[in-house]
Amino acid sequence: MEAFEPAIVAFVCNWCTYTAADLAGTSRLSYPKSVRLIRVMCTGMVDPQYVLKALLEGADAVLVSGCHPGDCHYINGNFKARRRIKLLKEILPRFGFEPERLRLTWIGASDGIQFAEIMQKMVAQIQAIGPSKAGRMAA
Amino acid sequence: MSIRIGFYICHCGINIAGKVRVTEVADFAGKLRHVAVARDYRFMCSDPGQAMIEKDIHDYGLNRVVVASCSPRLHEKTFQSACRRAGLNPYLFQMASVREQVSWVTPDADEATGKAKSLAAAAINRVVFHHGLETREVPVHPDVLVVGAGIAGMQAALDIAAADHRVYLVEKSSTIGGHMLQFDKTFPTLDCAACIGTPKMVDVVQHPNIKLLSYSEVTELSGYIGNYRAKIRRLPRYVKEGICTGCGECAAVCPVILPSEWDEGLGSRKAIYRAFPQAVPITFCIDKNDRAPCVGACPAHANVQGYIQLIKQKKYKEAVQLIMERIPLPGVLGRVCPHPCELECRRSEVDSAVAIRDLKRFAADQVDFETLDIPPIAENDKKIAIIGSGPAGLTVAYDLRQKGYGVHILEARPELGGMLRYGIPDYRLPQAVLDAEIGYILRMGVTARCNVRFGLDITLKDLEQEGYGAVFMGIGAQECLKIGIPGEAETSGVLDAIRFLREANTKSETTPDLNGKKVAVIGGGNVAMDAARVARRLGASRVTLVYRRTEQEMPAYADEIHEAREENIAFQFLTLPVRVIQAPDGHVCGLECVETRPGEPDADGRRRPEIIPGSEMIIDCDWIIPAIGQSVDSSWNDAACPLECSPKNTIIANPKTLQTSIPHVFAGGDAVSGPATVVDAVAAGHRAAEAMDLFLQGLSLDSLQTEIPYSGQRWKEIPVGCTPKARAQLSCREPAGRGACFAEISSGFSEDAAHAETERCLNCGGCCECMECVRACAAKAIDHTMSEASLEVAVGTVILATGFDLMDPTPLSRFGYGAYPNVFTSLEFERISNATGPTGGKILMRDAAGEFSKPPESVAILHCIGSRDVNCHEYCSRVCCMAALKYTHLIKEKVGHHTRVYDFYIDMRCFGEGYEEFYRRCQEEGTQFIRGKVAEITDRAIGPAETGKLIAIAEDTLLGKCIRVPVDMVVLCSAIEARKDALSVGRIFGVNLGADGFFLEEHPKLGPLNTATEGVFIAGACQSPKDIPDTVAQASGAAAKALSLASRGRVTVQSIISWIDPDICAGCQLCIPLCPYSAIEFDDRRKISVVNEAICKGCGSCAGACPSGAAQVRHFRKEHVFAEFEGMMDAICNPGGRK
Repeated sequence: MEAFEPAIVAFVCNWCTYTAADLAGTSRLSYPKSVRLIRVMCTGMVDPQYVLKALLEGADAVLVSGCHPGDCHYINGNFKARRRIKLLKEILPRFGFEPERLRLTWIGASDGIQFAEIMQKMVAQIQAIGPSKAGRMAA
Repeated sequence: MSIRIGFYICHCGINIAGKVRVTEVADFAGKLRHVAVARDYRFMCSDPGQAMIEKDIHDYGLNRVVVASCSPRLHEKTFQSACRRAGLNPYLFQMASVREQVSWVTPDADEATGKAKSLAAAAINRVVFHHGLETREVPVHPDVLVVGAGIAGMQAALDIAAADHRVYLVEKSSTIGGHMLQFDKTFPTLDCAACIGTPKMVDVVQHPNIKLLSYSEVTELSGYIGNYRAKIRRLPRYVKEGICTGCGECAAVCPVILPSEWDEGLGSRKAIYRAFPQAVPITFCIDKNDRAPCVGACPAHANVQGYIQLIKQKKYKEAVQLIMERIPLPGVLGRVCPHPCELECRRSEVDSAVAIRDLKRFAADQVDFETLDIPPIAENDKKIAIIGSGPAGLTVAYDLRQKGYGVHILEARPELGGMLRYGIPDYRLPQAVLDAEIGYILRMGVTARCNVRFGLDITLKDLEQEGYGAVFMGIGAQECLKIGIPGEAETSGVLDAIRFLREANTKSETTPDLNGKKVAVIGGGNVAMDAARVARRLGASRVTLVYRRTEQEMPAYADEIHEAREENIAFQFLTLPVRVIQAPDGHVCGLECVETRPGEPDADGRRRPEIIPGSEMIIDCDWIIPAIGQSVDSSWNDAACPLECSPKNTIIANPKTLQTSIPHVFAGGDAVSGPATVVDAVAAGHRAAEAMDLFLQGLSLDSLQTEIPYSGQRWKEIPVGCTPKARAQLSCREPAGRGACFAEISSGFSEDAAHAETERCLNCGGCCECMECVRACAAKAIDHTMSEASLEVAVGTVILATGFDLMDPTPLSRFGYGAYPNVFTSLEFERISNATGPTGGKILMRDAAGEFSKPPESVAILHCIGSRDVNCHEYCSRVCCMAALKYTHLIKEKVGHHTRVYDFYIDMRCFGEGYEEFYRRCQEEGTQFIRGKVAEITDRAIGPAETGKLIAIAEDTLLGKCIRVPVDMVVLCSAIEARKDALSVGRIFGVNLGADGFFLEEHPKLGPLNTATEGVFIAGACQSPKDIPDTVAQASGAAAKALSLASRGRVTVQSIISWIDPDICAGCQLCIPLCPYSAIEFDDRRKISVVNEAICKGCGSCAGACPSGAAQVRHFRKEHVFAEFEGMMDAICNPGGRK
């Protein structure tokens, strides 16, 4: 059976992970096409609704990625994201989603290699879990 | 108005078009809703590309534009400008990154095209919801902050200052100049680094527009582009800038020698120092750490490190005067102090503690107290009385007399000194020593009356009437505790230890005749030891010490026990006396005891002795001397004004102020604490004197600072090369000769032994505060009380020029750095070659003693130590090839052309102007260039030619064979690496670090001076390894960046900030504590939260948390994000597109 092609949405901060993605591109590090980035200024602005909406509208997984702790361009936005994601993971099963479909990572501006590696791993993980059963695509 | 979108996809040559079928994407986009025109073009960022957008806006009446090309971080501003030129608000533009996120990372063309379509659709769907935003402009403060005053910082500061803008130049070291000024010559022109560097330093310090803040650090940066506030911490130099003339007299007298950082530890400097003769500012600087642990451990806080250093300089009088600032009886304490200082001495981490007490005695022994200067005393008309002349009383007398009070001592016994005279045997403390030191105190003007018993001959009331404003009670603990066994009281021949020692010390007629007698001493403390040893000296034939516990639990000091054993004192442990046996004549004839065994631990953790039943025995003896503890004699206590005492008879005094229940009476020493050490009594004396001084001035005692904060951890590191040296030992007289003699048991150190011992001091505190510099400074520029200051400055922009660190090659042990004395780093070689360095500019190697003595006959220079090495730094350090060439030239020039120089390189990188020519010149000079990295430096010779040499083992990759090259000296061109504090400094300024640890520029090619924080620029080697020309060029570039903002005076800032919809906000105030900039305020009248737009930076912490959705970041509103996502998902579900 051919592995399914998951749709993964990544909310990434402008200063670190988006820059790392640029670096991965400049360094020609390939990663699966199923990851699509949405740029936000800071992971601290990622409303839990963004994540839920994405999962409900058909994404198989959501990644939130920002600066390493202590490196936030806005002092501590990434810590706020960390708290929100923690709580969000707890309520995801009530919507029928496995908590593994939501992931938070820190990928710094110079971590181009890590960016590509994390994307590859995440796609493999979601392929192992299988398509989302609760989202729009499943309905 | 209907929405009309123009969509453009860029080929970027073949960068995008090579993977993404751009026409297909344009066709797809053209079919999407609201898209009026969709095109593809070779280079959208080119002028024709931009012109195409502008023309389409006019021709098609576009009101939204989407460009799918590279990253918005590269060209978003370019296309926004094109929109603006065509009259379209730049925020009605959206960009899709189909190069960095698609064509460069997706190998398959179908997949890439599909992904590009989905990203295009996402952008198109998003832009529909965009609103035009007003551009915001803010003023730019004209001043600039430059951090780091190496060559980059100096250049940037001078450029900015020349444009008539003020510069704050902050440098963390005591001098500006940076690494460049440590160098000898600079490649390839061989200019002397100092010759070209020092004029710049002088320009900097003299420029009216440059405010130089040396020995300072930026601790915080707040604000935003154009409007920063920097907090700067100014470390105390302890020497006043502007007053110091730089004459250097202070350094000449400073006794503390420390390794010189400027000379990379190859040379030394004093604790008061200037990095090098041309340092700027010329002001000296004192290197102070926390006070040394010995000073903190001393109950009296004597400046131990200080007097040890003065002894080292043979300044014995000054040493004694320094001791006497805290200890009025140096010779006494130098003999009998239990030296708690030595327990804390960090030398014990190397070998064993410095013999601090013995050095104190040595110093005191060198001084004649009869002629020692009396400090000038400013008399006042108040007088105080001191009861008891032990160490506590004498300290109070000494301290208060110096403050000008009339001091009168009342002593019950015939002579002054208390327990020092009547309790400590002469063989430990000769009376002459005590007499001399008490004589000094009397010479200060202290008066004393002996044979006056307080309570009997004179009362507190009498003293009050005689006009004594305060009284100090230092009456000690003169009573011996009773054992409480039958026969103790009524039998003659039982004599308590305190009385016994007193009679022996005064050679009283009532001293018992112990000649040939058998003596039992009961107890395990120091008094018991003294009693036993005195009994031996009085001729006792057998002395038995009876103690109920084991030797481990004895409170007596180990050396006392040891010396007692040497004198044949018998120890009977685990033995408890139960009865004194009386002979028919009423005299003692034995001591009945029982054996004990250790039982359960009691309150103080020692195991309580348990009696073994049936173990009774009799110790045959003629005299019994109990020494089981002391108590305070309180028979004096005056019923008319009784002092509050504890149940144990000690006087109750406030532990901070030592004030008793009667306000003008203070008390200290054994009388308050119970039996303790001499130095504790001295410490108590100081405390009481301070409190009494305040009391007599009518001031509150609350302000009394009881403990000077000595709790330090920040001490000088123990030098790596610190080799163990044996501690000097006092010479003790042979035990055989001591038996019947009261002469002092040990003679002090010889001068040589004392000096050798002072050399062992590690100078933990840096400066020892001996105050020699203060005495030497004619300009009165030195102030040891100076403290850290802070300063806040407002600036518009910041330039970081914090430079680099040289990698420490010690962990790469195969190169032998640290193991072989003649393996040097490049920076060390620079110092060896430098005229102001440790060798005065002669290239010399170290001999067996570690001294630089003779020139090398052969030198190996190794490139790429830690650079171009996957195990250390993958990058090339960029300057080492040229620096190595410079070294080959300097060796040939300075040591002579006969010197064999081997240069081991991987590749020669001679890329700059004049570099290749310099390489050729060095080749012609006869240096042997070997292509191959050295695998190992070793001293294991395999032939006579290698004996005594360092052998460089390498593969000559051009010959294809392994070679061994014996040399005298090895220079390691160690990697240039990011500053150790780059991460924390980067965080202060909002600058990220790259994977190599250096500050990360905004863009490696197009924004090498910019950082992620607008208005913060980087210059020089803090960004990546650089040579001097590049560094200077980059510094001028950064200066230009700062100046362009400063001279325009205004800057456009992001319009992307938060906004709280007043119609939706419920006033829950959840957002207010979340805002990292405190930009949200609560409007009490409208009961809603409001964003202060001047402070908001648009992070969206509020938006992420707002339960009602009232808080939104402009341009990143929820509908924007949802629309982008929906567009993306639609494209995935309907790859064919839809209208």
